[in-house]
Amino acid sequence: MLEVQDVTIRFGGDTPAVDNVSIAVKPGEIVSLCGPNGAGKSTLLSVLAGDLPPQEGRAFLDGRHLHDFSPQELATRRAVLEQSPTLAATFKVKQLAGLSIAIEISPDTVREIVTDTLMAVGLQHRAENRADLLSGGQQHRAHLSRVLSQLSSAGVEEGRYLLLDEPTARLDLIHQVTAMRVARKAAQQGVGVLVVLHDLNLAAAFSDRVALMHEGKLVAEGTAEKVFTGDRLSEVYEAPLQVDRGPSNTVRVSPIFFADSG
Amino acid sequence: MKLIVPTALVAVLMSTVSLSETFPQRIVSAGGDLTEIVYALGAEDRLIGFDVTSNYPPSARDKEQIGYVRRISAEGVLALGPDLVLGAHDMGPPAAVDQLRAAGVRVELAPRGDSAKGIPEKVRFVGQLLGLTDKARQLASQIKADLSREAARAASKQPKPRVIFVLALGEGEPMVAGVGSSAAKIIELAGGTNAVTQFKGYKPMSREAILAAQPEVLLMMDSAVGRYGGIDKILERPELALTPAGQTRRYVSMDGMLLLGFGPRTPLAIEQLGEALRQ
Amino acid sequence: MKRIFGLQTAAGFKLFAALGAVVLAIAAAELAYGPVSLSLSEVSSAILGWGDASSTAIVTQIRAPRLLLGIAVGTALALSGCALQGVLRNPLADPGLIGVTGGASVGAAATIVLGDALALELPREIRPYLLPVSAFLGCALVTSFVFRLSRHAGTTSVATLILAGVAINAIAGAAIGVMVYISDDRQLRDLTFWTMGSLGGANWTMVAVTLAVVSVAAAALATLGRALDLFQIGERAAFHSGLNVERTKRNIALLSAIAVGGATAAAGPIGFIGLVAPHMARLIIGPSHRLVLPASALLGMGLLLGSDLAVRNIVPPAEPPIGLATSLIGGPFFLWLLLTRMKGRGLVA
Repeated sequence: MLEVQDVTIRFGGDTPAVDNVSIAVKPGEIVSLCGPNGAGKSTLLSVLAGDLPPQEGRAFLDGRHLHDFSPQELATRRAVLEQSPTLAATFKVKQLAGLSIAIEISPDTVREIVTDTLMAVGLQHRAENRADLLSGGQQHRAHLSRVLSQLSSAGVEEGRYLLLDEPTARLDLIHQVTAMRVARKAAQQGVGVLVVLHDLNLAAAFSDRVALMHEGKLVAEGTAEKVFTGDRLSEVYEAPLQVDRGPSNTVRVSPIFFADSG
Repeated sequence: MKLIVPTALVAVLMSTVSLSETFPQRIVSAGGDLTEIVYALGAEDRLIGFDVTSNYPPSARDKEQIGYVRRISAEGVLALGPDLVLGAHDMGPPAAVDQLRAAGVRVELAPRGDSAKGIPEKVRFVGQLLGLTDKARQLASQIKADLSREAARAASKQPKPRVIFVLALGEGEPMVAGVGSSAAKIIELAGGTNAVTQFKGYKPMSREAILAAQPEVLLMMDSAVGRYGGIDKILERPELALTPAGQTRRYVSMDGMLLLGFGPRTPLAIEQLGEALRQ
Repeated sequence: MKRIFGLQTAAGFKLFAALGAVVLAIAAAELAYGPVSLSLSEVSSAILGWGDASSTAIVTQIRAPRLLLGIAVGTALALSGCALQGVLRNPLADPGLIGVTGGASVGAAATIVLGDALALELPREIRPYLLPVSAFLGCALVTSFVFRLSRHAGTTSVATLILAGVAINAIAGAAIGVMVYISDDRQLRDLTFWTMGSLGGANWTMVAVTLAVVSVAAAALATLGRALDLFQIGERAAFHSGLNVERTKRNIALLSAIAVGGATAAAGPIGFIGLVAPHMARLIIGPSHRLVLPASALLGMGLLLGSDLAVRNIVPPAEPPIGLATSLIGGPFFLWLLLTRMKGRGLVA
């Protein structure tokens, strides 16, 4: 289990970025972290990734303090896709996809893993292309493939975690679904997935649990049906939102548009 | 012995063997003053290479050029096949001197000699190395006699005129000779007094400070006068035009190596400068 | 060298073999050609120790130390340039940028201008080492200062590092200006020539010390291939991928300072190689630092030895400063490489 207990993070200023939050991700489940801009989602993800030591509270990976892990150990247990991954070199897509593999394994094994993860994100036909010349969305998927390769090469069966910060933000509709299917598939293989999402419908469709944040605080946590209520969402987003049921009985959130009178 | 021997080495071997003397026959001189001394001793046919400061007599410029005296290349000098490297006291870099010696070349560094007393010393030093002791003694005592004659003449004129030596003008402030510089020494030997007392060596001097120094005579090198558009242009510059030197148009322009070389021609330089100052 | 993924290994091997052969040829030429013309048999017997005294001295006391110093200096400059460009993600980074060369220059200038009095107190054998030692100390002092400045709360900020380097370079420039101002004519010329660099000061003691210092630093830098690759996806992503980012940054700075300090102390500041050798390596061999590092080292050696060969032979018996040649030879070669590769690939990193 990857968890934080009573964590508070302040970057200066009056309101903390993360205010006394506790949350846990269990192996095999997908937890979506939702909330308006500036709610503290990415900061919380940074604490879970081990980037930010909690100023108050504690962070654990399978019962051990996160800061007791070496970077190398941590890299075999959790992989992180940043909100805006960058690349300052002219690597080919397949080189980028294998870059984060943190342990020594044979070139053949690397090749197999990279082929699989590129296939999973739909970039197998771009393997030989230069990654920095791809479109924004394709680059994002190449980085997703890199993170997946890191996790699947780790050689650890139990207790692996995948942290995705807005993985769908730069993707087209179809590839948004592709990305979430990738997360789902990882979860089926026992990986605990935490994903920051703005698209509440994607969150509802693909998550086991959702967590809603507002002004640094965890407002609600549970199944999408329970958490995503019209009243609560309208209050958190400070805009009228309505919730109904989609075709396969999934929760569907949509804003209520008022025709402009002007 | 190997069959293939470089021509330079052949030349070394042949010259030393055939003349069966112990005195060097293939000399590289690193120092304009030393080169002039070798010429004055009549041993110029033994010289094979010079540094950049050796530009007198004009025929010296035709020989091999070894570069700047503080940055000589050991192998470059070796390629000339010298049996003596005659160097100024500060010849370098030290590693190159060591390498020359390691390759079996005799390297001799002259005593420091930028004073009236130092010149005869350098002459005797070079004479000894070249096996021309008698000739060198003659030349040294001639120089000594000339120098003391000039010293007496220099003392005759009182008060001593205030001289400013301008090394370079350029865009910024003029580069001027201060206390202890070779120009200051020659000015004093010729019976003048250096108008600049505020700093040592060659430094840029502010225009106001030059005006305040009230120089009566402007001293420059021929090459510099040419470079800055002739003496009229130079005397028109405000920092000089308003000084006594500018208003009376008193100036002396001389060859740089003659004026500042501290070699065998220094008595001549003192004589020329002294005469100009006593006018 | 496991996991050279993405490189057609056979092609890579061929490129390295070609590069190695060129460097070897230049190194052999450095021993064989000089102002004194020696035949190959004379050179080889001098190396084996049965040549005559004169050619033995030329080969073993002049050319061989220069060759080894050239190898050490070329490697040091190229590897630290490569590592700094990688870690700063800045293609214009070179050892001068973080003040390393500036510090060495202040140390050297101070010795040239102020050291005369001190030098006379020292035994003659030690005097020649006064300058390299103070250049190295100046470098160490400035680098540690720059890193102090840019460290906050346990992390080193790359932006602050570069800015501190710029500031330090300005201060170093001013300090050198003061030295220039109070220097006499001879010291000024010494200073000017020192800043243009030269392998001419190479003797065996200097070569041994420089080689020892540089090879320790270079060996450590050469193992940083994966780390430098990871820096290309940003410091956070590099940490997520298992890299101890803080420690790596500190090590690279320290190792670069040691390597460049040693090289500059022995040969003066030689520009351009640290900047351009890594770029050439990337153009030739691709972006993977496991290959770029050794290729940079080879290119650095080749460029420096080639330049030294040129300055020694172009206007004998005089010898122009090597700094002129590194730019004159390296510049056009780099441009050619850049233009031919641009045609093939579109963008250039």
